[in-house]
Formats: sequence, C-alpha cells, structure tokens
Amino acid sequence: MSPLAHYLIFSGILFSIGIAGVLIRRNIIVVFMCLELMLTAANVSLVAFSRAHGSNGLPDYNAQVLVLFIIAIAAAEVAIGLALIVAMFRARKTVDSTSLNSLKG
Amino acid sequence: MDLPISQILFYLFALAALVSAFGVVAFRNPVSSAMCMAACFGFVAAIFFGLGAEFLGIVQIMVYAGAVLVLFLFVVMMLDVKKEEKLVVSLPAALVGTCIAAVFAGMITNVSLSLPGATDCCPMAAACETPANVQSNTTPNPSKFGGPLAAPKSGERSDTHILGEMIFTKYNIPFAILSFALLSACVGTVAISRKLRQD
Repeated sequence: MSPLAHYLIFSGILFSIGIAGVLIRRNIIVVFMCLELMLTAANVSLVAFSRAHGSNGLPDYNAQVLVLFIIAIAAAEVAIGLALIVAMFRARKTVDSTSLNSLKG
Repeated sequence: MDLPISQILFYLFALAALVSAFGVVAFRNPVSSAMCMAACFGFVAAIFFGLGAEFLGIVQIMVYAGAVLVLFLFVVMMLDVKKEEKLVVSLPAALVGTCIAAVFAGMITNVSLSLPGATDCCPMAAACETPANVQSNTTPNPSKFGGPLAAPKSGERSDTHILGEMIFTKYNIPFAILSFALLSACVGTVAISRKLRQD
C-alpha cells in the first residue's frame, strides 16, 4: 500500500490548488469553492494520519471524529458564506471580489 | 515491480481528484467549477473508502457532493453570473498566485518525505503483508508517524460502529455544542439573507 507520505503529498497539492484558486480567481463564488477544496485537503491528511497512527489494528478514531466535526463546520460555513455572497450581490450587483473596495483610502 | 490493486486505485483517484481540482480553478463558468468540485469530492470520498474510513466517505458524498453542491448551484443560478464570464485574470496576479502555491506544495512535499517513518510503511491495514511487525506495533510510537497496522479482524465491530460509539461517549459534549453551532448558522443565514425593512 502507498506510504503515508504519498497521501500527505496528495493533500498538500490539493491544498495548494485551493490556495492558487483563492489568489487567482476574482469570482467570489469560485474563491469559496477553493476554500472548500482546502478544507477537504486537511481532511485527507487527517484520515491518512488516523490510519497510520493507530494501534491494535484499529485506526486512531480521534482524528476521524475531528474530520466529522470539520465537515459539519464546513457545511455551516458554506451556508453563511453563500448568504453573505447573496447579500453582497444585492448591494453591489456583482460577484467580483475586486469591487469590494469601499474601505480603500 | 507489481503494484497491489489498492495502490493503483489510490494513485488513480488522487490523479483524478487533482485534475478536477485544477478544473475548479481553470474553468470560466462557475457551473463547470461547481461540477468539478463535486467530482473532486467524489474522488476524495473514494480515497477515504480506500483508507478504511467508510463512514467518512459516505458523509463526504452526502454533505459535499449533495448538500454543498446544491447550495452552490442554487446561488450561481440565483445570481446573474453570465456577464462575469468575461472577466480577465491579470497575468501578474496569476503568476504570483501560482508561484505561492507551487512553493507551498514543494514545502509540504519536502516535509512529508522527511517525516520519520512516512515513506517506509503502509497506512492501509488490510493490504499490509507484514504479520511479524503487527505484534510490535500495538502501541503508538510518537517518534514514528506510520507503521504497518494489524489487519482488522473479521467479525469485529465495523468502522461506523466504533466511530458512533466514540461520538456519543467521549465526544458527546462537543457533538452537542456542534449542533448548536449548526443551529446558529441556520438562524444567521436566514437573518443575513432576508430583505431589510425600509422603515
């Protein structure tokens, strides 16, 4: 089976693609999708560590409970974030993140 | 060198997940990005299955590919984003973003490869054919991040059973607090997205 490092590298590359999306894209909905990708990358590394760090033939279930909590918090975050995007669209009539510059001096 | 089927499947699913994650960033149309995101989460769920975390894989499919994708598509359709497709990404911004992400990926790769015990072991229990090491690995060793695990004994409690038992005993209070967090997120979403009164 693949060594732990390959799972961690996969998770790191997924996270980096998320970072690149957040930095490059201007459409705030796509930026939000990239945030979800980054959360998922963290989940992958947690599950891989849970499998590699177990004892007595069982994985470390503390990590899997943490993954469950992260998924629940991510769902709440998606709901609130999309509500904020809808509110932003009502106020600005655009989803371009560069239009949010009213605090600029 | 012959690879076991579980390893081939991991590399296949990892490659597919990375390609669809790239699609999220590359596609102009937000609906295509959302579809790529769902595909990526599906492949990640497959990797969870391969790691023996069946419950988390199913939760990943249900929550992300189900609920979150529907929310995203609903918002994309509710907002008029057709005219946003013409947005041009500036070349310096793209270059800087790619450089930062590449440096980060290289850093993580370096750290992962230099973890003690990260490359010479297998995180998957069932595929490990080293029964001699099974007995020596009954206690977690903090200096070694990985190691061959014992194969799960057949007839023992399933993954979901143990996870549920853990949630409702050791993590019962955090679980209850989490439900309050979800409730407040619901109320907050309604409060943010409702129309303000004019008076």
